[in-house]
Amino acid sequence: MTQIVPDNRKISPSLVFFLIHSMQIGVGVLGFQRIIAKSAGYDAWISILIAGLAVHIIVWMMYKMLRIADGDILAIHTYLLGKKAAKILCSILILYFVLLTTAVLRNFIEIVQVWMFPHLHTFWFGLVFLLLVLYVIFGGFRTVTGIAFFSVLLPLYILFLFLYTVPFSDFTNMLPILDHSIKDILLSSRDMSFSIVGFETLLFFYPFIKNPEKSKKWAHLGIAYTTFAYFYLAIITFAYFPEAQLDKNVWPTLTLWKIIEMPFVERFEYIGIANWCLIILPNICLALWCVSRLTKQIFSVQQRRALPVLALLVLVGISLLVTRDQINTVTNITGKFGFYFNFVYVPILFIVILITKKVRSHGKDT
Amino acid sequence: MAFMKFPFLKKKNDREEIKKALSKSKDYTTVTYLNKKTNVTFCLTFMSTLVDEKIINDNALPPLLEGDFYRLEDTKNILPLSDVQVTEETDKLEQKLFNGYVLLTMQGIENKFCFFSAQKEVSRNVSVPEVEFNVIGPKEAFVESIDQNLNLIRKRLPIKELIIEEQKVGKLSKTTVAILYIDGITNTENVNTVRQRISDIEFDAITDSSYIVQMISDNQHSPFPQLLDTERPDRVAAILAEGKVAIIVDGSPHALITPTTLVEFFSSFEDYFLNWILSSFLRLVRIFAVTFSVLVTPVYVATLSYHYELIPQDLLGLLVTSRRQIPFPPILEALFLELTIELLREAGARLPTKVGQTIGIVGGIVLGTASVEAGLTSNVLLIFVALAALASFTTPIYKMSNTIRLIRFPFLIFAELWGLLGILLAFCFFLTHLLRLTSLGRPFLEPIYPPRIHDLKDALIRLPFSQQTNRPFFLQSKAPKRFDDGTAKEKKDIDE
Amino acid sequence: MERIRNFLLLIPLFFLLVGCVEKETVDDINLINGIGFDYAEEGRIIGTILFPVFMKDQPPENKILTAEAAIKKSVLQDIQKQSADPIVTGKMRVVLFGEELSTKQGILELVDAFQRDPGVGSGIYLATVDGTAEEILKGKYGIKGNAAHIANLLDQNVKREDLPKTNLQRFLADFYQKGKTPYIPQIKKISDENVELSGVGLFKSGKIIDTITQDKMFFFKLLVDKFSEGMHRVGIEKGDAAIRSIRSSHNFELTGRNPFEVTVKIRVEGVINEFTGNELTPKITKQLAKQFEEDIARECMYFVKRFQEKEIDPVGFGHFVKTQERNFNIDKWWAAEYPKLVVKIKPDVTITEAGVIQ
Repeated sequence: MTQIVPDNRKISPSLVFFLIHSMQIGVGVLGFQRIIAKSAGYDAWISILIAGLAVHIIVWMMYKMLRIADGDILAIHTYLLGKKAAKILCSILILYFVLLTTAVLRNFIEIVQVWMFPHLHTFWFGLVFLLLVLYVIFGGFRTVTGIAFFSVLLPLYILFLFLYTVPFSDFTNMLPILDHSIKDILLSSRDMSFSIVGFETLLFFYPFIKNPEKSKKWAHLGIAYTTFAYFYLAIITFAYFPEAQLDKNVWPTLTLWKIIEMPFVERFEYIGIANWCLIILPNICLALWCVSRLTKQIFSVQQRRALPVLALLVLVGISLLVTRDQINTVTNITGKFGFYFNFVYVPILFIVILITKKVRSHGKDT
Repeated sequence: MAFMKFPFLKKKNDREEIKKALSKSKDYTTVTYLNKKTNVTFCLTFMSTLVDEKIINDNALPPLLEGDFYRLEDTKNILPLSDVQVTEETDKLEQKLFNGYVLLTMQGIENKFCFFSAQKEVSRNVSVPEVEFNVIGPKEAFVESIDQNLNLIRKRLPIKELIIEEQKVGKLSKTTVAILYIDGITNTENVNTVRQRISDIEFDAITDSSYIVQMISDNQHSPFPQLLDTERPDRVAAILAEGKVAIIVDGSPHALITPTTLVEFFSSFEDYFLNWILSSFLRLVRIFAVTFSVLVTPVYVATLSYHYELIPQDLLGLLVTSRRQIPFPPILEALFLELTIELLREAGARLPTKVGQTIGIVGGIVLGTASVEAGLTSNVLLIFVALAALASFTTPIYKMSNTIRLIRFPFLIFAELWGLLGILLAFCFFLTHLLRLTSLGRPFLEPIYPPRIHDLKDALIRLPFSQQTNRPFFLQSKAPKRFDDGTAKEKKDIDE
Repeated sequence: MERIRNFLLLIPLFFLLVGCVEKETVDDINLINGIGFDYAEEGRIIGTILFPVFMKDQPPENKILTAEAAIKKSVLQDIQKQSADPIVTGKMRVVLFGEELSTKQGILELVDAFQRDPGVGSGIYLATVDGTAEEILKGKYGIKGNAAHIANLLDQNVKREDLPKTNLQRFLADFYQKGKTPYIPQIKKISDENVELSGVGLFKSGKIIDTITQDKMFFFKLLVDKFSEGMHRVGIEKGDAAIRSIRSSHNFELTGRNPFEVTVKIRVEGVINEFTGNELTPKITKQLAKQFEEDIARECMYFVKRFQEKEIDPVGFGHFVKTQERNFNIDKWWAAEYPKLVVKIKPDVTITEAGVIQ
């Protein structure tokens, strides 16, 4: 039922590392510290590790399911429910990814508007950005992966720039360790998971991986690296800001950059924000690619026809969101959906599919 | 186009028609002779502009007039020339005549005739490469004659595996295009693609290899050249050994190499003549130069128009004072200077060398100083633009350096619109474009993306030859190993 | 299809002109380098801004504009009315607060405006003024402009002398840190061409309530900065010596819980720069070191007592105890525990060199 992906469209397994990692890193990185510190305070770094561990488990489940169904998310559902029901169920995901794209893009534009250009038109910037996204996706999945690859490699230098804050940091801020209850820490982990969702795209691009068994290792490495990046950033932030000050900063990462002064450049945050353009690009490209592929499979529309329509939807979406409250609402809805999909629905699906497989193979035997 | 009226293009077999059409040209010559010994009357027909009359007079005529010439087949024995053919096919007639052959017909025999070659060689001598000049290494460059060029390559690869295939391209020009590859190393698929694409070319006159480049490129709307062109036979030989395909076009002193990658355009062949540390350093310098050249004016425009916060305090005074008198916004100032540089370059390229140099220096110094003094441009920007121009010329391949000069303009426009954010957007557009580009179906950004660790040994940097044990992976060569790196030698301890 | 798509890509380029954002071309704006605030009657403030007018081959000219208003933003707005070019805050180096303002009204609201403004960097210097800020900004110091001069003065003193690390971020961090109170340097105009660093102002909820004078700053820095440098004069019977501390560090240890007892170990490695006595024997060197240790212990103890009396904590004893204690209650700390805190100072001075003369 699903078309077989031609070999020259597939990507080598090691690139899964970049896909997973780049999808998990997005606008969330600029402001997650405040959100996770709300429940668990400066013990939240433990929450990051817990959330990272949870993602590892979920991805392990995903790989198992994908192998059983031998296909993508639609194949999994078809395996369980049959064609029709699968299509209906999966069309909800279209909405999710469109919302996700809208939230990411609008959040980024908001940051630009607050920090750089108060007069930036959401519509015009969104239009040009989405045209870029279309240009990428029309190049096929390999180009999308390429963008993910460069969006991980090129901004790597930023990780080192954070060290500029160390002379102004007090690492004892995090002491005493475990000053919060387990419940608080778990709550923080849940808040953290909003930032690190995105790896569910694996369920869509799985058929595009050459030798998917080999890619497992890379997917897990990607998650580990993401967890490390968030962890590193959280430690740097917690040491730099006292808790009460962190609570006042909506985008602590950007505030961190304000202290950087180099002989040829002062005030790194402007370069950083511009750089983030490259970091959210794969987020949006991959998400839109997933939806367009899903629409193709569900409604049998060509991807090249579906994409402009979907992009237009996103463009309308970002233009309609004006105030920070509206933006936050959409972000929260997407975050919640992502959380429940990844951490609740996927495990359930996993158990169901295991049972079904047992029953079916049992049925065959007797 | 007077050629088009030639009737022989349509009616092939009619000898009389051909004769009639040809006799309109002044260089069509027919001479009748009589062999007194055998009493045979024969006739020589040729295009006098294409044949070397010395060969006819000194080599062909004496045996024909005095030898044992009874039948047409005898020519093969009596003529002291290597290329003598007896044939009955009239349709080759016209083509042979235009390739510098002499047609020999015997009176009374209508359906059979003989050809022998007497081409006049009009070519210049092998000279020093001008575009890809090197201080170290061989100093010969291709010329316009394809035989000469093939000779230069053959000499460097004296093996039977070096295959030279020929095709004629162009309805009117009938240009000879040779495809070169090494059998057993080069991937057959690549050769087939090249062969196919060349035979698919539909065009009347192919004048130079650049025509072929534009016609067989994967994406013909890209500003980036997707085939490497070189005038160095040593480079062609080396690259054939890597397992790539070379294309040589008659009448063009530039050979084409495919498939190629972006990084290859920034490696000079001289890199291989230097020690690996030096050559790696030079490559990095070149890559830095290119980035600098493309980005410096856009960044200037972006920071001065939008991001004054980025400029360190001490630099700020300098920039402000240099701009104080200037009536234009940074973007106009930058465009003005960039266009001036382009003008100087274009004028320099169109004029004879000596005049061009003078114009370049005079124009550069006089215009630069004058425009700063007149308060039209700031001297800081003048320095940047001049440096950027200088940096853009470090690119070893001329076609690529043109591209680099061009792409800064979209960057400038985006920088004017959205500052640094615009520059990043423009960068993303170009990155995507490069990601989508292929050369002969192979990704253009290889080995950076898709990442191939093995090929990185000869990309941004060049590791020593002892490390280069494998041919580039993306070529999918039939013989991936270049040489046997020998059994791992045990390292000797100090003082052993 | 291909053609249409290519065309579509071109359209935005034309329309982009509509989407243009506001420009701030560097030579068409007034870059505030320094800003000063002073107290006026009835809770109003006087704001003075300083921006350089750059000249070719000359030191920049200091331009000053003044306005009176209720809050910072409206000060800037009022000043804007006097200026031909827009005034921007992105290149601010120093913010000065007049003495009256920082003691009477407090500076919190003003500082809050700076942390809210994305244009203002975190590395700017805050300082209080012995006198009025306006007066100081009106001088003519150095060749790089007034603000740059003051900023460099502070910078230099932080890096090489005995001013503790300070900038906007440090101030905010200390302010927001539970169990710590902030401090900023104090400067004073001595003539039209000269300003000097005159001390450190200690804050309690946004108001200065105590000042540390220039000569005691060395000990203050030893207490508050993890690593510090600086010069101190030690006197013994045989003569006076100037000892330069080239490397020093402090370490806190919680040695008792009821009442809390904190031991501060201060290690100083110094060289003797100058000695007024006849001969510098190893014995004398040892004596000097001993005397130095005594000085440190005495001065630091004196500081701690003073801080406890005034209910301020620039050293951050509260923060330190919090890192060592689970379920730390900050209100209880300020009310009951801090006044009873016992602090022990354990100095350890090593003199490594005595100059090039034996």
